[in-house]
Amino acid sequence: MSDFFLELFSEEIPPNLQTNATKKLFFDLNNFFEVNNIKVKGSTNSFCTPNRIIINFSNISKDVVKKSEEIRGPSVDAKSEALEGFLKSHNIKKIQIRSKSTEKGTFYFYKKPEKKLKTVDLLKENLPNILDKINWNKSMKWGNNKMFWGRPLKSILAVFDEKKIEFNFHHLKASNYTFLDKDFEEKTKNFNNFKSYQAYFKSKKIILDQVKRKNFIINELNKVSKANYLLVDLKENLLDEITNIVEKPKIILCEFDKKFLNIPKEILIITMQNHQKYIPTFDKKQNLTNFFLVVSDTKDLKGYVKLGNERVIDARLSDAEFFWNRNKSQNLIKQLSDLKKINFFKGLGSYFDKTQRLKKLSSLISDELMISKEKIEIAASICKVDLKSDLVGEFPELQGIMGGHFAEAQGFEKEVCQSISEHYLPSGLHSKVPKNLYSITLSLSDKLDTLVGFFGIDLIPTGSRDPYALRRYTIALVRLIVENKIRIKLRSIINYSLTLYKEQGYEFDITKVLKELNNFILDRLKNYSKEKGIRSDIIESSILSNDIDELYNGYKKAEVLYRNIGKEIVRDVVGIYKRSSNILNNEIIKNKIELSNSVDTGLFKNDFEKNLYKKIQDTKKYFVNFGKNDNFEECLKELFKFKQDVNCFFDNVKVNDENELIKKNRLELLNLLCKNFDNFFNFSKIEG
Amino acid sequence: MVSKKKKSNKKYLSFQDSILNLQKYWSKQGCVILQPYDLEVGAGTFHPATTLRSLGTKTWRTAYVQPSRRPTDGRYGDNPNRLQHYYQFQVLIKPSPDNIKKLFLNSLSSLGIKHEEHDIRFIEDDWESPTLGAAGLGWEVWCDGMEITQFTYFQQMAGIECNPVSVEITYGMERLCMFIQNKKNVFELNWNDQGILYKDVFYQSEKEFSAYNFEHANTDNLLKIFDMLEDEAKSLTEKKLSLPAYDQCLKASHVFNILDSRGVISVAQRAEYIARIRELTKMIGKVWIETQI
Repeated sequence: MSDFFLELFSEEIPPNLQTNATKKLFFDLNNFFEVNNIKVKGSTNSFCTPNRIIINFSNISKDVVKKSEEIRGPSVDAKSEALEGFLKSHNIKKIQIRSKSTEKGTFYFYKKPEKKLKTVDLLKENLPNILDKINWNKSMKWGNNKMFWGRPLKSILAVFDEKKIEFNFHHLKASNYTFLDKDFEEKTKNFNNFKSYQAYFKSKKIILDQVKRKNFIINELNKVSKANYLLVDLKENLLDEITNIVEKPKIILCEFDKKFLNIPKEILIITMQNHQKYIPTFDKKQNLTNFFLVVSDTKDLKGYVKLGNERVIDARLSDAEFFWNRNKSQNLIKQLSDLKKINFFKGLGSYFDKTQRLKKLSSLISDELMISKEKIEIAASICKVDLKSDLVGEFPELQGIMGGHFAEAQGFEKEVCQSISEHYLPSGLHSKVPKNLYSITLSLSDKLDTLVGFFGIDLIPTGSRDPYALRRYTIALVRLIVENKIRIKLRSIINYSLTLYKEQGYEFDITKVLKELNNFILDRLKNYSKEKGIRSDIIESSILSNDIDELYNGYKKAEVLYRNIGKEIVRDVVGIYKRSSNILNNEIIKNKIELSNSVDTGLFKNDFEKNLYKKIQDTKKYFVNFGKNDNFEECLKELFKFKQDVNCFFDNVKVNDENELIKKNRLELLNLLCKNFDNFFNFSKIEG
Repeated sequence: MVSKKKKSNKKYLSFQDSILNLQKYWSKQGCVILQPYDLEVGAGTFHPATTLRSLGTKTWRTAYVQPSRRPTDGRYGDNPNRLQHYYQFQVLIKPSPDNIKKLFLNSLSSLGIKHEEHDIRFIEDDWESPTLGAAGLGWEVWCDGMEITQFTYFQQMAGIECNPVSVEITYGMERLCMFIQNKKNVFELNWNDQGILYKDVFYQSEKEFSAYNFEHANTDNLLKIFDMLEDEAKSLTEKKLSLPAYDQCLKASHVFNILDSRGVISVAQRAEYIARIRELTKMIGKVWIETQI
């Protein structure tokens, strides 16, 4: 049994590229061992640092038996050159082959005998291909070389059974040495096994294993913050990024001038996290403090690292403070007309035009959600003014949030500030959804205005391309409505939005926009439901009976149905529906019967028909009186009550009566039954 | 409490000595030390010794300081970090040598930045210049959290695939010296060791050029000049005179930058102007490769 160990040393490769490359390489090597029947009995490892990809497989079989196989050669009728070529390529003589007839004709066959191969030879032969198969998202060339890699690849260390595996990979020759220091690449050292390699780097305090490195960083961050009575809110993305840009992490506690705490905390946090990759800290009351943690890649021998980082944050925050002081006092209302200079989109006017539309659109929605028209109109008018500010120019991800802060600094009411701050939310499938009705109204208006506009000028996303993030906006729309249980008639709001565009001189094809946007929104509802684990046939059915005017109902019904799908109640309700609709559909198609949608009670021949009819009428009343606060579980129970009458009907009544009139009347009855069900839910597409 | 500045008697390198040291250092590495290009450019990359020389198969090593102008970054001398005119120190080596990281780190020691005392990091930063039709992969180099250098392997220039690949190292001299001299305000930098500060040299110029760039540049004339320069560049390209054509292209590019800072170019026009300059660069790049002696 032997060990295989591979190290690829390069200049610093970006975190994502390096982690993906490591995963892919490890996966492909596993695959290679499996396909070639090479047994791996020991542990396997795949590590990465910014400069090194390290793979280790231990306890691998040295030899592998390649089973005998029969190889088809040329047809016996083919020219002799073909046969000669075949013999030559396998290095065999004619005596070693035989002819055999198959369905496709008679061919020569060569039975390749069982063969013992050395694992190391297979590795030697296949490693270059495996390395070339790494799919870098972005790769580059350097010097005079032809190779593509994430950043320049400097050495390949490949060892099997304590001996180097000799192979060439583009301009590089694999060996058993690597560079010890990542920066100067001066000293090299031979390593003949993974153990000595690990021991060496451990002695240099370099943590090769990214999982261990991450845990080490987390522990150290917690330790330092705890010792200083601070709290940290560790973001997974940031941690992963930091983990993959250091190899021997050291935590340094730094601080900035307390005066900067007067700036909105979002600015401070974004500067620290996104721009500098620092960890902000909080006190026990969750207030941001002026301490922050730096994950350095070196020991701070002379205190320069701490000093340098503090100077950087000081310069950055001074800039931010200057802008904050300037921007917060710039009157939002007075700046409104400046929005005329900022184009919203070609063919959809300026941001001034947009806010004029938003004002009216949110005013309409405010009627439905019963909030103050006056406040939402103010919020809508000024919600885009922050786009002009230096701070949003500097920190685009703070759009809206800054607007909220400016409004607060200028004494606007709380609802106004909050709705401006939150009107870009939710920004994705998993981000926070605003709960405040003012925020919901403004966010809905903003999204609908954008969607209507882009659909109006025919920039509808196709395929996987969505350059204007319209899918994201629509998902946001769906989440705002569904997760806040908002009952709102989207159709009329879209219509009004189209009118508002028209008032500004932008004429769109109204029917087309309505139809396409309708389908687009319903598609997103489907995706959203799928994401929530709801079976797609159920959501499809739900959409059939609930259009975009009932987005919430559509989702909720599907959700209730899905929750109960395995239970007797749903099984029976679906059963009743399908039994009726199958008969109905068969008869209608087979005999081309046209239904008039009216039942003649005079044609009833027995109580089973009468009872069913009565039950249908009762249920109809139930649904009419049902009102707005639908409890869909109750609805299901109501439909379930049909079970007895429907079963009696089918057990005792022959729909296919000889008298055509009676037959038709019975079909009308079934039709009425199905329609009654459809009122709640179209069960026809439910599977099983 | 913010950590106090360390008081020491250590003498920090002056601005002019930093440039001299870098020149000396890269000269020792076999670089041709050039002087700044004598036209207004936005960055050291625009110097023909980088743009044009990075094209084609001939080897090339150069280093030079390049005054660079970014009209929109002017702040009338009021901002401690922003200037409309500043210095870049530029190194270009083709093909990129294997030990370039070492060469770079040693250049920092020539400025008094000792590798073992600082946290030096190579952080992903891919570079693209729409006006030059250029793209590259590399890093921004952080020293204790401060970006001090851009480090790029050119993959494409003037729309042409680079083969061999050049490496470009660009030091932002003001920022680097603020780091070395421990200064918070660029105007406080020691220009030399005789008490001359950065503001003594450039404060007035920042004030006046900001006024020119933002308020007084005659945009009607500049718009015409842009068109004239573009025509000239095209006709020189037809005559296979790549270097004079490239000069016109640089001038046009600077005119565009002033127009941009005067705020007379809309978003849509902006993209169009950039595309026009890129087209010129591409044509010139082709001619240069054909005609290079």
